[in-house]
Amino acid sequence: MMSQRRGIHLDQSELLCKKGCGFYGNTGWQGLCSKCWREENQREKQKQIQEDWALAERLQKEEEEAYASRNQKAQTQPTITPFGKFEERKTKEKSSKVNTVTKFFTPSSKTPPKKDSPFDAHSSQSPSSSTSRHSSVDSDHATREFIDFLKPLKSGREIFKQCRAFTESMVYKRDMAADELSECVQDFYQNLSDRLLTQFKGSSDHVEGVMDEVEKYMMTRLYKEVFCPETTDDEKKDLAIQKRIRALHWVTIEMLCVPVEEEIAEVSDSVVKAITDVIEMDSKRVPKEKLSCITRCSKHIFNAIKISKKEAASADDFLPTLIYIVLKANPPRLQSNIQYITRFSNPSRLMTGEDGYYFTNLCCAVAFIEKLDGQSLNLSSEEFELYMSGQASPNWPQSSGASSGSPGSAAVTQVHKGLDLLTGLGERQERVMEKARQLESDLIDWTDEVEQKVQSVLESFPPETQTPAAPTASGTTLSAASAIDSDNVENEHLPPPLQPQVFAG
Amino acid sequence: MAAGGTGGKTYSFKVVLLGEGCVGKTSLVLRYCENKFNDKHITTLQASFLTKKLNITGKRVNLAIWDTAGQERFHALGPIYYRDSNGAVLVYDITDEDSFQKVKNWVKELRKMLGNDICLCIVGNKIDLDKDRHVSVEDAESYAESVGAKHYHTSAKLNKGIEELFLDLCKRMMETAQAEERLKGNGASQSASSRRGVQIVDDEPQATPAGGCCSSG
Repeated sequence: MMSQRRGIHLDQSELLCKKGCGFYGNTGWQGLCSKCWREENQREKQKQIQEDWALAERLQKEEEEAYASRNQKAQTQPTITPFGKFEERKTKEKSSKVNTVTKFFTPSSKTPPKKDSPFDAHSSQSPSSSTSRHSSVDSDHATREFIDFLKPLKSGREIFKQCRAFTESMVYKRDMAADELSECVQDFYQNLSDRLLTQFKGSSDHVEGVMDEVEKYMMTRLYKEVFCPETTDDEKKDLAIQKRIRALHWVTIEMLCVPVEEEIAEVSDSVVKAITDVIEMDSKRVPKEKLSCITRCSKHIFNAIKISKKEAASADDFLPTLIYIVLKANPPRLQSNIQYITRFSNPSRLMTGEDGYYFTNLCCAVAFIEKLDGQSLNLSSEEFELYMSGQASPNWPQSSGASSGSPGSAAVTQVHKGLDLLTGLGERQERVMEKARQLESDLIDWTDEVEQKVQSVLESFPPETQTPAAPTASGTTLSAASAIDSDNVENEHLPPPLQPQVFAG
Repeated sequence: MAAGGTGGKTYSFKVVLLGEGCVGKTSLVLRYCENKFNDKHITTLQASFLTKKLNITGKRVNLAIWDTAGQERFHALGPIYYRDSNGAVLVYDITDEDSFQKVKNWVKELRKMLGNDICLCIVGNKIDLDKDRHVSVEDAESYAESVGAKHYHTSAKLNKGIEELFLDLCKRMMETAQAEERLKGNGASQSASSRRGVQIVDDEPQATPAGGCCSSG
């Protein structure tokens, strides 16, 4: 309504500041004058800051509570006097740590508020619009856990600061080649662990523990940026291997010489679990967690081999089985996952640890699948080509005799037999049904027929001739007949009834 | 390159087991790590990755032994396995000439790919079957010497020569690692400073003093 008049006439009062201070307002400032707008805006900003503070404070309180409960636990245990002093010192240390951690969450006064309050930085720092709410919740969670973990450490604050700064700097390097990103991260790991080593005076177990957490925190937050980055052809490779595995669907256990007997229930159970685990790898974010999926998968494979062969599995048995599992599972984004682990996992784990061994085997399995040819499956190249192109399948009975003797084809023939039996049964059932239907209609016809007959009989013999209960003995027949006759007046004129005569002979 | 010296006094070494299918790699390593041979009561789930902790002249050594699939069709995957390893144990069966030939191929490949960074051990297994020997002791030992490898005779069945083999290998790997450390120049700055793109933000003087003041306050 207003807009119609706007061009022509505008009431002066509408131009004035909404606060009624007498100055003119501006639509850009929500109808306020510059002075009132600044006041209003400041208030809002202040509110925002206060909210941030409240959040930080709440978090801190939670932490302090956690401390308190932990302290209580610690206090209930050792009450021996010599430990008293030590305990006291420890508590003091802890409370000082609370202070340190508090600093993480307190917006510093020098810097402009809101944007740089470190708490906010976790979620809003990453400029990528793709960061979904879910992932930011995840990374907040990781941050909190990381802080909890670092609290009891002497240099926890230092470590956190460095990790956060590094993680934030990484976000701006998204355009860098994946290898360079990897090098940055690896350098950071190296530097940090070197430092920690001097700090913990060579306790490498301790350093490893810290580095695990560092990796967890950083990779949870960087996952979106560095997993399968656009600068690489990881995605193309993923699709290629996926297609390749699909094309190899015909590969059987016998071709790979897998020493696993899937007929045993426990074995097939382990196989299924192994497949599930290797697929699950894609859902994890931290390299270490992905690796433990592979390790779990491997353990299930070993279990399957051990039950089948009744001896500890060697690499000769393990690798073919792993290849078989990968072929069966066709894990999503396989290449991306492998690349991601190689680039961003803690290198010491990959080089010597057990996880590293299984990961290496997975890499081998993938390399084998990529380069697979007839020879490596003990097939002629013609056969291989036929199977690959889908013109033949080792499972078809008419295909060349190569597979006829194997137990796999026996199973297939058994399946065929079963199918034949089933179709035979189906036909028989059909026949039974038909007969049953025929019987039904026959019955209906028969009742109709009987009814008709009864009707016709009734018509031909009028109801008057209705007789009482049928006589059973000849003697009674006589008397009954006479009784009827006695009723019948007309019959009196008739000649006496014929007497039955006995014929001799 | 995979210098095990990161832990100050603890060395971690990766050793790969290479060799043809039935030469007894798995028996060898099971005997070494579990002291078992053809045992029906083997408790370990697997014999493909085993670790052993050693103490050699006061230095702790963590040995990780990686078994590899010996079948011919997996030969091409070798480089993925032996990458970053400090030592390789090349096993052949003394009753099988072919398996010794395979070892020669492995040696060539390893020297080509990894140079002299890797300590090689050539192991003639199954000496309990000496009457069926097809690879002569002299041939094997002179070949090993010619390629800078050590030769050992073992029997997993009789538990002969296996301890010595791995102990020797560890000592040699330690020497290599120490020589490498000296080459790199002593001091903690070695590995980090030589690499580019160091990303540590350091707005406080040093980690150690910061920690110190924390604990005192």
